[in-house]
Amino acid sequence: MRLLLKPYLGGFGAVVVFELVGSIAGLAPLLAVVELGRTLLTPETVDSGHVRFVVIAGAAGLFVKLLLTAAASGVGHLLDTRVQLSFRRRLAEQLGRVPIGWFSHRGTGELAKVVGDDVSAVHPFIAHTPAMLASAFAVPLVSAVYLFTIDWRLTLITLIPVALAIAHVPLMMTPSKVRVQDEFDKGMGSIAGSVVEFVQGIAVVKAFGDTGRAHRRFRTATDDFVTSFYRWVRGMAPIAAGMQLALSPPFVLLVVLIGGAALITGGGMAAVDLLPFLLLGLGLTAPVAALGHGFDDMQAAGRAVGRIREVLAVEPLPEPAKPLAPKGHRVEFRDVRFAYDEGHDVLRGIDLVCEPGTVTAIVGASGSGKSTLVQLLPRFFDPAEGSVSLGGVDLRDLGSRELYRHVSFVFQDVRLLRASVADNIALAVPHADRDRVIAAAKLAEVHDRVLDLPRGYDSVIGEDAGLSGGEAQRVAIARALLADAPVLVLDEATAFADPQTEQAVRHALAGLGGDRTTIVIAHRLETIADADQVVVLDDGVIAERGSPAELLAADGRFAEFWRTHHAVIREELRDLEDELQGDHR
Amino acid sequence: MIRTLLRVLGPKYAPPVRRTIVLMTVAAVLEGLSYALLVPVLRGLFGDDPGEARPWLFAFGGAIAVYAVVRYLGDLAGFRAGTTLLHGMYHRLGDHLAKLPVGWYTSRRVGEVSVLASQGVLRSMGVIAHLLGPFISASATPLTIVAVILVFNRQLGSAALVAVPVVLLVQAWAGRSMASTDTERAERDHESSARVIEFVKAQPVLRAGGRTAERFTLLDDSLRDVERTARRSVFSALPGAVGLSVTVQAVFTGILVLGAYLALGGSIGAAEVLTILVLAARCADPLLSLAEFGGQIRGAKAELLRLQAVLETEPLPEPARPISPARNDISFEDVRFAHGDRQVMDGVSVAVPEGRRLAVVGPSGSGKSTLLQLLARFYDVDGGAVRVGGVDVRDIGAEALMERFAIVFQDVYLFDGTIEENIRLGRPGASEADLREAASAAGLDEVIARLPGGWDANVGEGGALLSGGERQRVSIARALLKDAPIVLLDEVTSALDPVNEAVVHEGIERLMAGRTVVMVAHRMRTVQRADRVVFLDRQGIREEGTHEELLRLGGRYAEFWAVSAPVG
Repeated sequence: MRLLLKPYLGGFGAVVVFELVGSIAGLAPLLAVVELGRTLLTPETVDSGHVRFVVIAGAAGLFVKLLLTAAASGVGHLLDTRVQLSFRRRLAEQLGRVPIGWFSHRGTGELAKVVGDDVSAVHPFIAHTPAMLASAFAVPLVSAVYLFTIDWRLTLITLIPVALAIAHVPLMMTPSKVRVQDEFDKGMGSIAGSVVEFVQGIAVVKAFGDTGRAHRRFRTATDDFVTSFYRWVRGMAPIAAGMQLALSPPFVLLVVLIGGAALITGGGMAAVDLLPFLLLGLGLTAPVAALGHGFDDMQAAGRAVGRIREVLAVEPLPEPAKPLAPKGHRVEFRDVRFAYDEGHDVLRGIDLVCEPGTVTAIVGASGSGKSTLVQLLPRFFDPAEGSVSLGGVDLRDLGSRELYRHVSFVFQDVRLLRASVADNIALAVPHADRDRVIAAAKLAEVHDRVLDLPRGYDSVIGEDAGLSGGEAQRVAIARALLADAPVLVLDEATAFADPQTEQAVRHALAGLGGDRTTIVIAHRLETIADADQVVVLDDGVIAERGSPAELLAADGRFAEFWRTHHAVIREELRDLEDELQGDHR
Repeated sequence: MIRTLLRVLGPKYAPPVRRTIVLMTVAAVLEGLSYALLVPVLRGLFGDDPGEARPWLFAFGGAIAVYAVVRYLGDLAGFRAGTTLLHGMYHRLGDHLAKLPVGWYTSRRVGEVSVLASQGVLRSMGVIAHLLGPFISASATPLTIVAVILVFNRQLGSAALVAVPVVLLVQAWAGRSMASTDTERAERDHESSARVIEFVKAQPVLRAGGRTAERFTLLDDSLRDVERTARRSVFSALPGAVGLSVTVQAVFTGILVLGAYLALGGSIGAAEVLTILVLAARCADPLLSLAEFGGQIRGAKAELLRLQAVLETEPLPEPARPISPARNDISFEDVRFAHGDRQVMDGVSVAVPEGRRLAVVGPSGSGKSTLLQLLARFYDVDGGAVRVGGVDVRDIGAEALMERFAIVFQDVYLFDGTIEENIRLGRPGASEADLREAASAAGLDEVIARLPGGWDANVGEGGALLSGGERQRVSIARALLKDAPIVLLDEVTSALDPVNEAVVHEGIERLMAGRTVVMVAHRMRTVQRADRVVFLDRQGIREEGTHEELLRLGGRYAEFWAVSAPVG
């Protein structure tokens, strides 16, 4: 954080100096009025030359103030925009490095808020603090010293409102007030939660005709929030009002006048000396007023900085000091254990070798650890124990670029970016030329569809053109084909949005073949039947492995699964035959 | 601003707001008027007998006491009005969101509305509680002071009066130049936050593509745009702020010069001129703070306009006299429907007799799911009609229509609660035995046995703690429990693995038994068991008939069947 601010320290210094000189120069017109008063109130004949000088000096001071404070504010805000950009860039960079597993604990909306709103909330720190420190503290200090030289008793009296205001501060910090503040924050959080649920679940809610339920939750959350808000306000209002009254100009003037009148009638002070107090005395409340005014913003900024720090503090997966190069692309899992949460192992000792030129089908119930296992390959997580290696090198000793050149992944969850179709296909190979992009698209059987789009390969997905699930899936396949990595990981779950896509994918993959190491989370019997090696995962361990024929012969879980699956189909075919015969009858 | 607010909320919220404004204005004017007493006070103190000031000083004190009371009442009224408005706005928004058609909730809207309902409402209502008072006092007090000066000295008062129109003009001009950059900023912020979400969601792909080491240009460009517009808005704000400050300070200087001139000429007493200068100095600060309020008020106003836009979106019309259909057959009659500018359906007609099953098959993007959505009135048709039991769905009434459907979607959303709560949603008053039966039939027994906490296991926000197959089973149990006469299935098994699919399949069979069914499917296995199949593509219904008839036809459906026929 401090490092991020360092390049801008010079700029901050300039802002502070401008503001300091400017706001002190701003005292000149007030002092001019004081001098004018002295001249007018002295019984001798008035020196008009002196008056002219005083007025000109006041006007000049005002001009300097205008110039410098405008400059300070301008420079401060420009600095702010640059600091915000560097914060955001740093955050983006960090988000690109944290372990993927970390994202599952954080909502994407929340992260977008950190990069967007939270960085913006730092604004008062950067743009206003230097100026505020100068004008809210330096000016009152100079004024106070000046007033002190005129009459120390009245200076102290002038400070009475400030003391009164400060006396209110502890009242705002009592435990009960803090508790109400917490309640207030929590209330806000639960509104956000319930509105997300309300809005996202609206289809379900409507489908079950129970619009009332989620709606009620939202209502309860908002009612609770309003109640706690009101309680907070009611508790704070008298204190805040008292504080504001103490700082209000009429009250300060009243105090100064009462004190001044007493001193003047007592003969302890010249009447003329009251004037500077009337003009500058009000300024003495500025620091407290500024604190009160900017306090909420500052607190909010402080909380925002806390959230930014938290994101920046996440440790990225370590990069090797001396990256090794893999020899070949044999994939090996050795006694791999992994847990998302402490004490609940998802993978419990996996040993698995996938040879180049073979297809490994991973089968298992949902929750058996299939997805987690394959996600260790692109290092979304590192195993807690054991190792995953590629070409004989532990993934942790492989530079990330090297790793990603070797492993390509077709995800369960297709993510197309709001960018051109060509860019989406070339995501992994940014400098690929158009011909290669088109070749990959043809292989994935999406080329014709792309040509139908308004701007062909330059159509921006989501702006120029929406693609259906199946089309998006084929773009993702084209992406993997273009990457042409020797290790391919494919999740069949949603890889087949419709039969045509399924066929396209099959053709594309069959065409690849060769020396590739392929690992498939299999959902289709065809895939399983064609695999060189089938691995049945059950609750984090490998229950069975072997070729499909071997596993059928072993008559274990796989064989059972295979038979029930076939049974369902056979039964259906029988039903169908019955129906058909019925039709013929 | 206030007017927009009241228009959105309705006139019954006007009195507390008006009361607040009146109290705050009275307080601000009182403050200004009390300063008039400074003239006799200072005249006394600067004169030969300072004791003369004493009664005026008491009067000043009294005036301030009255001011303090009125101001406190004004603050309280402001907070109370703010809270009432907040409450009213939340309820109005909640009621309205519940009425909007499901089709309105695109994924982009979901994000927008979430932010709007949580922070936007608070921010726009906060204006009343926090900004209204300072704003009124910053404008009304200086005006009163100008009036006071005018009473004591016409020349100096006129000089001060000149400032009023100029300040107003500068404010209006600054406001306009800021407003345009404000909109642009909001757009850029929106854009970049969408890019951040995209960047985070695409992390797996980006990393697998090795795109994390370099700066990701799509995101970085949008961050730079944010910076550029922020920079522009600094430059567009500066003239306004500087202009205001130049005006205010120039007028003060003018009064100083004029006062000095008049005093030297002897046409005005020293005490008067000095008091007036003190008062003029007093005007400067609040006037300068106006610039700051302007920005905050504009921000709140933008938020309010967004709220207004949502609140003014028309919900689907409800029938004045709902008709309850006697049967449960379904018909689409020459249905036309466009999604944005894209014509999704152009004259689709198909009928399902009561108790029969219709399967809708076709390539992705052909509008299969739209058929179901029109039936459940997520949208209304643009032409033609959708009927249940011979009655147009628009004449049935939303609640009554939904009572007839049990819907199982491809993406299942579960509420953050227990499995039991989520199933019970199907029929809140269901008996314990019915609940267990539905769960068993949907294949949930095994899941419940495995989860820590069983029936009381929490499913997480959106059901995130369950796997896709498990969520699907919960939603089938929910539909079974609902026991509605019409079943709508939307690609229910397409994302499931074979094990889950087999289980879910059994549940679906139970669900379909004896009911009118419309299913969108591409797993041909389910389709085979339908009484009737329609093959839909972008041009509309291409083929229609039983599975067997369509196969014999040897057309598109047969082609589909050929590429996906089950092995075995």
